Amino acid sequence: MTFLSQFAETAQTDTNLFSALGIDWRLLILQIVAFLILVAILGKFVYPWLMKQVDARQADIEAASTAAVQAQKLAQANQEKVAALLTEARKEAAEIVSTAKLESADMISVSEKRAQASAERIVAEAHDQLGKDIANARKQLHNDTLELVALATEKVVKAKLDKKADAELIETAVASSKAAK
Amino acid sequence: MASRLSRRRLATYIADGFVSGTPSKATLIEQLAGYLVESRRTKELGLIVRDIEYQLAEKGHLSATVTSAFDLGAQTLKTIEAYVKDTTSAEHISLTTLVDPDVLGGIKISLPGRENDQTIAHQLTVLKTRFKKV
Repeated sequence: MTFLSQFAETAQTDTNLFSALGIDWRLLILQIVAFLILVAILGKFVYPWLMKQVDARQADIEAASTAAVQAQKLAQANQEKVAALLTEARKEAAEIVSTAKLESADMISVSEKRAQASAERIVAEAHDQLGKDIANARKQLHNDTLELVALATEKVVKAKLDKKADAELIETAVASSKAAK
Repeated sequence: MASRLSRRRLATYIADGFVSGTPSKATLIEQLAGYLVESRRTKELGLIVRDIEYQLAEKGHLSATVTSAFDLGAQTLKTIEAYVKDTTSAEHISLTTLVDPDVLGGIKISLPGRENDQTIAHQLTVLKTRFKKV
């Protein structure tokens, strides 16, 4: 109620509206002038620069966007290339693996043949060596037997031969020499 | 100093002396010994004796060495002498016996220039060497 009564009183004193509202109209004018001056200064010096910056920023953003699109396209193209390369690489890898398998099979075959030949050679050499060893052993046995026979004969003769038997032996030897002559 | 004589001449001289009997054997031996000492040829004594044996053998006087393991009886020696005479055609045989138990048995007859070895030791050596495989 007090608010409405105050407003009614203020409407009666129209001229003192600004003062009733607490506004100094001179100060208001000054502020309006100052505002206009500010707007003029901003319009002269700040807004063009600001707009220029905004335009430049917009241009940059558009360029970046364009570049991003191009990069995306390029990336997609690269991805396709990479995929193609990967496919090709897989094919080449498969070929290489296949070739390597064949080569390894060949190498294994050659190695097996060489190993077999080497084993056969070793066996043949072993047989030869064995034959030589057996022959040498037989020779050695023969010679040892001769030595043993001679030694045994010597022992037996020393033990058994007496003067009489020796005389008979000499007679026989002389007779055989005469016969041989 | 006496002139140097060949072994052959020395052997011939000594062998002739032995066969003829003049000078005596003792004198001949003394002469030979004196000559060898004077001419400093004592080292050749073995060779000269061998040459003398050769010369004597050529003249029918054979010196044979018989080696056996036991002493040889008279009968055996006669048999050996007859065998040597038969094989060499020598008129006079001089046997020198030698006992060597290492020959085991049998005899070895050594004549100038040759040897007839029929000992058991020799036959065993032949057995060991001739039939040995290399």
